Amino acid sequence: MAKRMFIGFWGCPPRHALARASRLCPFADFVDLDVDMNAPATGIVPDSYCQIVTNIVDNAFYLKDDLRLIVASIGEDKCDGGRFAALILKDLGFPIMEARNTEFEQEHISICSSNLPLFEKVDRIMDGIIHPSRRKVKQITPTHGFWGVPPHDMELLRLFPDTTHVYGWLRCVEAGVPADLDVEMHVDPGIPTVFYAQTFCQKTALARYLADKHNGLYIDCDGPLTNSVTAKVTAFIRLG
Amino acid sequence: MYRLIADCGSSWSKIKDLDSGRIVICPTSDVLADANIHFEVATGHLGKDRSDKYENELVALAQGSLRLVNDPDFTVVDIGSRDTKFVSFADRKMRKLDWNQQCGASTGFTLELLGRYYDVDFSKLRSTIDRIPVTCGIFAIERIFDAIIRGEAAERALAAFIHGIAYNIHNFAQRPDTLYISGGMCENRCFLESLRGYCEVIPLGRNVLLEGLAEQVEQSL
Repeated sequence: MAKRMFIGFWGCPPRHALARASRLCPFADFVDLDVDMNAPATGIVPDSYCQIVTNIVDNAFYLKDDLRLIVASIGEDKCDGGRFAALILKDLGFPIMEARNTEFEQEHISICSSNLPLFEKVDRIMDGIIHPSRRKVKQITPTHGFWGVPPHDMELLRLFPDTTHVYGWLRCVEAGVPADLDVEMHVDPGIPTVFYAQTFCQKTALARYLADKHNGLYIDCDGPLTNSVTAKVTAFIRLG
Repeated sequence: MYRLIADCGSSWSKIKDLDSGRIVICPTSDVLADANIHFEVATGHLGKDRSDKYENELVALAQGSLRLVNDPDFTVVDIGSRDTKFVSFADRKMRKLDWNQQCGASTGFTLELLGRYYDVDFSKLRSTIDRIPVTCGIFAIERIFDAIIRGEAAERALAAFIHGIAYNIHNFAQRPDTLYISGGMCENRCFLESLRGYCEVIPLGRNVLLEGLAEQVEQSL
């Protein structure tokens, strides 16, 4: 049986870093270490910590035997959590290629403003980091907005109608500019928007500030989707 | 056949007979023990499996308060056994909402427990200007016990704890000048007096969510 080989990555590394990693490990598939894989808990990061960065560390150990290289986003395009995860994993013997995505030339955005279900919008945007897509998607006028990052529990996204536009860091990723705060701060005025950040993430400050500024709903979630977050989002969409 | 709607809270259920208009408040454990009881519409997660239609508690709170309050702009907060919710309206349209099940949670339940333990009647307890910070319910309970160990009367320590809860709730609801209160705390004199130190307080009683459900039933007819 052929042995699996992976290039792990997190965040939105620049294309040249991913291309270089692919040349170094031509038979390896890319795997996003941010995503929940039900990996056993290593206990390396504290319990009260960003679940996404916890995923990164736990997934790295889970795939340790098959990981040939990790492309680690350590710049403003990710966060200090990513930077420390790279440091810790390197210290523990993982092969780390540090990367910073400082691209500021925006690409065309279409998935964020399409009629795809929100879950699929986010999935396609993140998939586009490795497999950029040229598929045409139908554009729609937004009735609601989702601002933020891919949630640890993606089921949150199924609470939203298909007429939800995507803002925040996700929009930055589709535009190819993950460190661009102007793009990250942008929302369409008057559109009822849910501002989401992962619990314990520094981005909660931005999410909450923007929710107050734009009369939106601020939510943060740690692990699995909670009853109160579900109720808040559902009520906001119904009453808003 | 009774037509019933219910707000099934963590500790107490409020059940209304739509035909007679009669409202019964009973422990939720009694409702759960009765396999035959079924509701036309219910809210509160413990009512989910017992109803033809289940409604989100925040929506029930919003719709119920719109029935009971005539102001164009207002804020209502519902304080339950284990969570606190608020909805604020501008021109009778929802402006902000939130639901806190984490820090400061279990306040109603905790107060009932402490009241029974120290035999304190909250409908008679006077408020105090002293305030125990309630950043975390567990730490606050520790401070209550510390105060009592130091010789302070249980009533005074509990009054300071309730003041801490009132302060938190006013902040949670984004510090309005007037706050409508829903839930069992409407019967807690000490809480209402403490909260009046921060804003005007108008109790709406324990049936606000039921009113929201009744509104839905009427709209569907």
